Formats: sequence, C-alpha cells, structure tokens
Amino acid sequence: MTAIYALYDDPEVVQRAVDGLRTAGVPDGRIVVMSSEPFEDFEFSHRDKADWLFTVAVAGGVVGLAAGYWLTRLTQLSWPLRTSGMPIVAPWPNLIVIFEMTMLGAILATVVTLFISARLPRRLPRFYDPEISDGYILVGVANPGADADSRPLTQALTDAGPGRIKRIE
Amino acid sequence: MSRTRNNPLADDLLRPLFNTGVWFYLAVAALGTVVLTGLTAWAYQMWHGMGVAGVNWPVFWGFHETNFVFWIGISHAGTLISAILRLVNARWRRPVTRCAEVITVFALMIGAIFPIIHLGKPWLFYWVAPYPSQGSIWPNFRSPLVWDFFAINTYLTGSLLFLMLPMIPDFALVRDRAVGLRKRIYGLLAMGWQGTTQQWNRLEAAMQIMAIAIIPVAVSVHTIVSFDFSMAQVPMWHSTIFGPYFVAGAIFSGIAALILAMTVLRRMLRLHDYLQDIHFDNLAKLLLLMALLWGYFVTAERITVWYGNEPHEMAAFWSTQRGLYSPLFWTMVCCNFVLPLALLPFRRMRIGFGAVVAASGVVVGMWLERFLIIVPSLSNKQLPYTWGGYTPQPVEVIVMASTFAAMALLYTLFAKVVPIISIWEMRVGNQPHPAATAAPEHELPELSKARP
Amino acid sequence: MAHRWGMVVDLDRCTGCEACVTACHAENNIPTVGPQEAANGRAMHWMRVERYWEGEYPDAKVKFRPVLCQQCDNAPCEAVCPTYAAHQTDEGLNAQVYNRCIGTRYCANACSYNVRFFNFFNPQWEKPLHLQLNPDVSVREVGVMEKCTFCVQRIKTGKRTAATENRELKDGDIQPACAQACPSGAIIFGDLNDHESRAARLAHSPRGTKLLEDLGAEPKVTYLQRQPWNESDA
Repeated sequence: MTAIYALYDDPEVVQRAVDGLRTAGVPDGRIVVMSSEPFEDFEFSHRDKADWLFTVAVAGGVVGLAAGYWLTRLTQLSWPLRTSGMPIVAPWPNLIVIFEMTMLGAILATVVTLFISARLPRRLPRFYDPEISDGYILVGVANPGADADSRPLTQALTDAGPGRIKRIE
Repeated sequence: MSRTRNNPLADDLLRPLFNTGVWFYLAVAALGTVVLTGLTAWAYQMWHGMGVAGVNWPVFWGFHETNFVFWIGISHAGTLISAILRLVNARWRRPVTRCAEVITVFALMIGAIFPIIHLGKPWLFYWVAPYPSQGSIWPNFRSPLVWDFFAINTYLTGSLLFLMLPMIPDFALVRDRAVGLRKRIYGLLAMGWQGTTQQWNRLEAAMQIMAIAIIPVAVSVHTIVSFDFSMAQVPMWHSTIFGPYFVAGAIFSGIAALILAMTVLRRMLRLHDYLQDIHFDNLAKLLLLMALLWGYFVTAERITVWYGNEPHEMAAFWSTQRGLYSPLFWTMVCCNFVLPLALLPFRRMRIGFGAVVAASGVVVGMWLERFLIIVPSLSNKQLPYTWGGYTPQPVEVIVMASTFAAMALLYTLFAKVVPIISIWEMRVGNQPHPAATAAPEHELPELSKARP
Repeated sequence: MAHRWGMVVDLDRCTGCEACVTACHAENNIPTVGPQEAANGRAMHWMRVERYWEGEYPDAKVKFRPVLCQQCDNAPCEAVCPTYAAHQTDEGLNAQVYNRCIGTRYCANACSYNVRFFNFFNPQWEKPLHLQLNPDVSVREVGVMEKCTFCVQRIKTGKRTAATENRELKDGDIQPACAQACPSGAIIFGDLNDHESRAARLAHSPRGTKLLEDLGAEPKVTYLQRQPWNESDA
C-alpha cells in the first residue's frame, strides 16, 4: 500500500486541503482525514454521516421485542405452571421483560453496527501516523497511483497552508 | 491557533497511567485486604448457611437487600446523568461524564452481586437466567426477581458499552505515546482505531443512540427494583408511588456519590484544572433539586398512609415515626433533606466543603431509606402474632463494608489504567467553534452542499 | 372432577393444646432448632397456635388460632418465585419444590400469613431422634424454603390405597397429621369439590371466615367462630 498525506495543526487548513483535493478531482470517498477529535464544526467532518444508524437501532429494537415476546410466551406455554391465579401467559409481567429485551436489542444492534461500519477491531493499518495523537490532523489519499498522478495532490496539500507532506511507499 | 498546544492536556490526564506513586500500592493493598475480608465473610455465610446473618422469621430480608437497592441506586448517577447532559449538549459535562459512568458500571456490578449473596443457595443463581435446561423448565417471568435479572442485564450491558466506546480513541492515544508492553496492550484495546472521519461519525452517532436508549433503561431498572417491594402485599410496600420514588432516590444518591468521587479524584490526581468549581456548583445544584424532590416524595408517601389510617399499615408506619426505628427515620430526614437544604443554597458551600458534607449525608440518608423501607415493614406484617425484629450480624456488616472498599478499589484501578477524564472530549471542548459562531448550526447542511 | 383440598378449623373447639403442632413436626420431619435459635426467629412451625389476649388480667380472655399455610388460590407467594419452586398444583395445593428453591425468601415476604419457613442452617436431629424420621417425607437442606403441604404424602397414600382397593376415595380417608392429632376434632380436612364432604359443608357455615380475607388471596382454610351476629345460627 502506498499513500500520500499531510499533517496540519489547524483545522481551517485541513478544510482548505480537503477542498483542494476535491478540486484536483479526488472523489470524496477517497479523501482520508484522521484526527484525534471529531471536529464537528468543520465541513470535512460531515462527510459520510451515519444517520442510518438510527434505523439499525430501531430494527435491533424490533428484533429484541420479537425475541422477548417469543421467549416469554413460548416458555410459559411449554410447561404451563399456575402461579398466584395469574394467566399462564401473563401480559403485564411479560411486558417488562419484553421492554428490557427491546432496549437490549437496540443497544446491541447499534454497537455491532458501529464496529462493523467503523471496521473495528482490526490491526492498525499502515496508513496512519502516531503524530495524530499529538493533535495533528492527517489529510491524505491512499494508493495515489504513479508519480505523475500524485503531483496535483501534493500541490493541493501544499497550497492549503503550513503542513508537512509525507509519503508511505 | 495551534492544535498541538493541547498536549499539556494529554500529559496531565495520562500522568496517572505512566507514573505510579506509593499511595497507589498502599491504597490497593489496604482496600484489597478489606475486599478479601468481605469475600471470606461471604464464604463463611455460604458454609454455615444464612443463619449466621441476622435475617429471621419474619424479617427475611435485611442488610444484603438494603445494600442491593442502595448500590443499584448509586449506579443511577453516572450513565443517566451523562446521557442527559450529552443529549442536551451541556458543554460542562465533558470532564464529568467518564468518572460518572465508571460509578454506574462498578456500582451495578457490586449491586448485582447482592441478590446472589442473599440467596440460600448462591451457587444456583443462574437458575434465574433463561436458558434451555435439561429439566426443560424456564424462569418464571411473573417474578419481579426475573425482571431484575433482565433489567440489570440490559442496564449493565448498556452502561458498560456507553462507558467503553468513548474510551477507544483515548486508548489509541495511549498506544501512540507508550512503548513496549504497554504499547502492545493499549494497541489491542484501541482495536486499530485511526480516527478517520468515518470512525468519528459512527462513534458519535452510536453514542447519541446509546444516550437515548440508556435513559429509559435506567428509569426502568430502579422502577423494577422498587417492584421487588411494591408487588408484595406487605404494609407500606404495596404502593404505586414506589417506582418514581425509587428512581428519584437513586439519582439523588448517585449524584451524592459522584460529588464524593470527584472530590477524591480532584485531590488525588491533581485535576483542579479540569474538575473545576463550575462542575461542583452545577452538581450540587442538582443535588439540592433532588433533595427537594425526595422531600416531596416522602411527604406524599407518608401523608397518604397516615390519612388512610389502615390498621395493617399503621403498625409499620408508627414503628418508623415514633417507635423502634424512629431514630433512624429522623436521622434520614436530617441527612437527606435538612442538611442539603441548609448547605446547598449557598454558592460558597456548593463549591467548597459544604457539598462534601451534604453529599456524605445523602449517601448515609439514602442507605437508611432503603433499610427503613425493607425492615420495619417486614417486622410489622398483617398478623400481630408474627411481628418481629432484626439485628444485623457481623457477617452482614463486614460484607457491606467490603463493598464500599470494592468500589474504591475498582475505581482506583480504573483510574490507573484508563484516563479518568476523556481526553478527546476535552480537546473538543477546547477547540474554537467557527461554525457555531460564524454560521448558525442549521446552515451547515447547505454549507456542505455548496462545497465542490 | 379434580380434587380441591381444603380445611376447616373450628376455633370454638380449639383448646390451644398444640397437639397439632407436635404431630406436624413428627410427620413432616421438621427440625427443632433449640431455644437460642428459636429466640432468633429461626423456629419452623408449619402449624402454629397463635394466642391473643382480650381484656386485662384477671378478666383476660385467651383466644387460640391454629395457623398453617392457607393454600391460597391466588397465593401471593407463588408468582414472586423466580424458579417456579412455588406453584399451584392441579388439586389446588400450594406446592413447594425443595430442589427448585434457590432461597430468595421472596415468597416468605410476600406471604401475608407468614407461614413459610427458611432453613437457615442444615437441619440436625440428636440421636436417637434421627431414627424417627418419616421415610415418606424428604428432609430439607440448608437454604431452601419449606411450608405446610397439607400432608401431601398422606394424600398420595390415600389415593393409592383407594386405587389398589379398587374403590372411590371417600371423605375422611385422608387426614393430615394435625387433623388426626387434634383431640377436640377442631381440624377437618377434605375435598372442597365434593359437596358432601364435611369440610365442604362446614366451609359454608355461617360461622366461617377466612383469615385476612380482604387481601384477596382466596385461602382454602376456613375458620369457624361463633360471632355475636350469628349466635343463634351456631
């Protein structure tokens, strides 16, 4: 794997670098920004928002609800034991169990989706720079291709503002 | 402005991870000894039977159940408060959230052990869990104890994830700074976190959903704990107010515990720059609010029973107002209501020693509340011939003391291996907010569309 | 029709002699715990005689009330058990399955009559008392709840005997230990679904009341007691 990237310490510069890469014709999906904090106030952090995660959470909740309903109902019917004169399938108490399982389903679906979609856990990829932890922000492109192709990228990263250009060969 | 100027922040907050003082070993040794003593006491109780505890006929529940409700109550500070503060985007929350969420997780773990400690056959506790057994018998979903299992299970899972997800970026930070074995361990914990935009977006979205989901779960947990009592036709238990009353009391005691934990943290880890007066001020205001709410609930509960004047209930009622348990009752009122109301209206008290005094009082008072709910009612059930009493035995007191030590021990160890204040969230707090000041929030989507 | 076991206790006949308590201990292998533990509230009396005094000495009047598990239809103890150790059988018995019990003691708290007992210690019988244990009744171990079973072992034996003799079970075939031992015949046991049985008839007596009836647990034990308002009927 090869990569070309720049380290900046100012998010304004990062924004300019991302815009510059776009102007140079790099598709949004290939522009990689790595940082030690989310920078929600800058446009570059709003690419690839995961709004659909809410839908996944609701779906997980529905699965949990169905599982809760199934668990309470079938187990009570499988060996009908009478207690306190209550019905064998007692709706009110079951509601509590179903509620907890609904919420558990939503929580687990959210977390599992988070891990899958954020590609965690994994071995730390080569395309990384420990200086990010010192507060630097990485902007770069993986596999930029031949030297001739990567020249406009280097130019865009340099033009954005003060930063250090690095390469992974 | 330079981002890298934030490095002192990471240096400060990572100091406890890289430097170990003598006090750490001393504290771990001392607390560990107490915890071991408690485990020995539990083993002693298992060996001889519940008879070595003070529980008896008719007071079948005593200290163990009091501690169960107490610790589950303490657990309501962290995740609940941090979830609410996250959702309303309160900026001052950032240094507080993690040390609050840790309280939740550990208090829940400790609280969840008590229903096992109190069992006659603790080694069979898993019979409460639903699993296909050879006898093809499932747990009884009509039992509040099974609801407890489900509620605590969901809450513990949720709180644990809620605490640990935002720890991943901080683990990555430690990974990049450490060397040798420590680097390898934190590298594993960081799970290959790079901090790409995509990862940040997923994490933030997941935290948002978790915050929304965990609030109703937290409310349900202590409601269900209250159902352990209010479902039974025991005098003063069978009450509709118990759900909200327990939830309010839980948050009340949880905030008190949080104030105490933050006070200790600030002093021991020298975090005065992070846990500032504003945090204590705000939390103490919240404590004052909850004290008022608590007073409201107790008044509502007591006046209803007194006015209704049902003979069955009055025996339990008077035993707490005038009888055997009245000294405990009025101590509780002083601790939970008089003390906070006397101290916390004043800012000087809220940011100073007053908050510590009030919070300690509330922790004691809320423990007494749980005791006064359980024991006087069981001592005075419907048939006067069966009235009895309860004297706690050493084994119960030792187990109880050891759980406080366990809490402190777990907290100490946690603060040793994880930055107790979320570093990346603090960095977010320090960054300038150009979009928020220059362009209003709702224009952001248009902004991104306008970009090439 | 299925049986529905019930009991009638005639308080006007009860002398408070506690023969029922002793018989119950002997029949059901209930351990005695000694004076110290009894004072600590660890005594186990599936059947107890409650004593209430009315008035002041010397004009005091003592009332006795034998109390045992009321075998409620809507027993509050059953639903709270997480493991179904407490449940209702088809014959209306409030069953306690000792080896399903994990000892939460929740049932004992939920029971308004306080007729459930916990094995705080492993039961012990001083020699030679261990030789008099009833082989038909299991001995309970430490950590489980126990309670009156309406002498379920005698119910089973009674039904089995009737079956081997190829006849219907008739009223009076089955007697729990307490009823058998009561010298004044104050305890009557029988099938409430058999309307001709003594217990069923007496359960409808105008003298009859249920203990803590207003709690709605629907007990199957009826207490007979002459009341000022039905003196003439008695």
